[in-house]
Amino acid sequence: MIVIAPSSELTPDQIARFIHTLGLNINVKETCYGANIEGPKSVVRKALAEVRKLDPNRIFSKVRAFPIGDERRCRAHHGSRPGFNQVEKEWRDLAMIDVGLCAADRGETCELPPRPKPLPVKRLKEIAEEVTK
Amino acid sequence: MKVFMIPPNSLILYDLVERFGHQPLSLMGELREHVVKPEVESPPLNISQEDIMKGLKYAGIEVPSGVRGRLAIWGPMVDEAEAAIIMHDMPYTFGCVGCHRTNLMLTYMVRRKGIPTLEVHYPHDDEEAKVMVTKIKAFLEGLK
Repeated sequence: MIVIAPSSELTPDQIARFIHTLGLNINVKETCYGANIEGPKSVVRKALAEVRKLDPNRIFSKVRAFPIGDERRCRAHHGSRPGFNQVEKEWRDLAMIDVGLCAADRGETCELPPRPKPLPVKRLKEIAEEVTK
Repeated sequence: MKVFMIPPNSLILYDLVERFGHQPLSLMGELREHVVKPEVESPPLNISQEDIMKGLKYAGIEVPSGVRGRLAIWGPMVDEAEAAIIMHDMPYTFGCVGCHRTNLMLTYMVRRKGIPTLEVHYPHDDEEAKVMVTKIKAFLEGLK
């Protein structure tokens, strides 16, 4: 399953056509989020490596349990099952992961700023007194 | 190395683990074997009786069947894992008691196993994403 980050300028159609031009013996299905590819493991890996080169930090992938066009899953056969919430949410956030990957490529060491210290009770009392005056 | 991920079906974690040169132990890969078996005809029958017995290895009989059923698939993956990445505060892992309790149980099992484990938080902005990705990269590169 190849997923294009929303920050990429590539379209699923471009990805699917590109995979076709590779001339590999695999099945390709264009989807709304990218493409699904299926075939012998080594060939799929080869295709994925080529696709990634198009936009390395904005093309993501994972394995999918159901085969392409499976009647239990494919919407064409009314087989859609719940579970898209997760991919939809993660797809939306891939733009952030892209920023993270670019930072990692530059060798940045990122740390979150330290959490603010809790307000001392003494200061809280002072604020309460100021407000109630 | 074989890296287990929590949540085990995460696209982000799967991609990062594979990108940085390790083998992700994915729920999808395990389920694929279940759903393409010729004897399985429909999704409610994905879990066979053998799986339920496997689940008993990881959770007692009094544990809800939803948890045991899930652990029948996820438990062997934890056994196989050589390292793990746990992502906390995922916005999409709400759900029934079965889902949530299984997630807690998985986290417990991974921590108890004593394998190299990285715990990160789901990012909400670019800065948090940078922290998460760089931590994961450093962790995975350190495993080599």
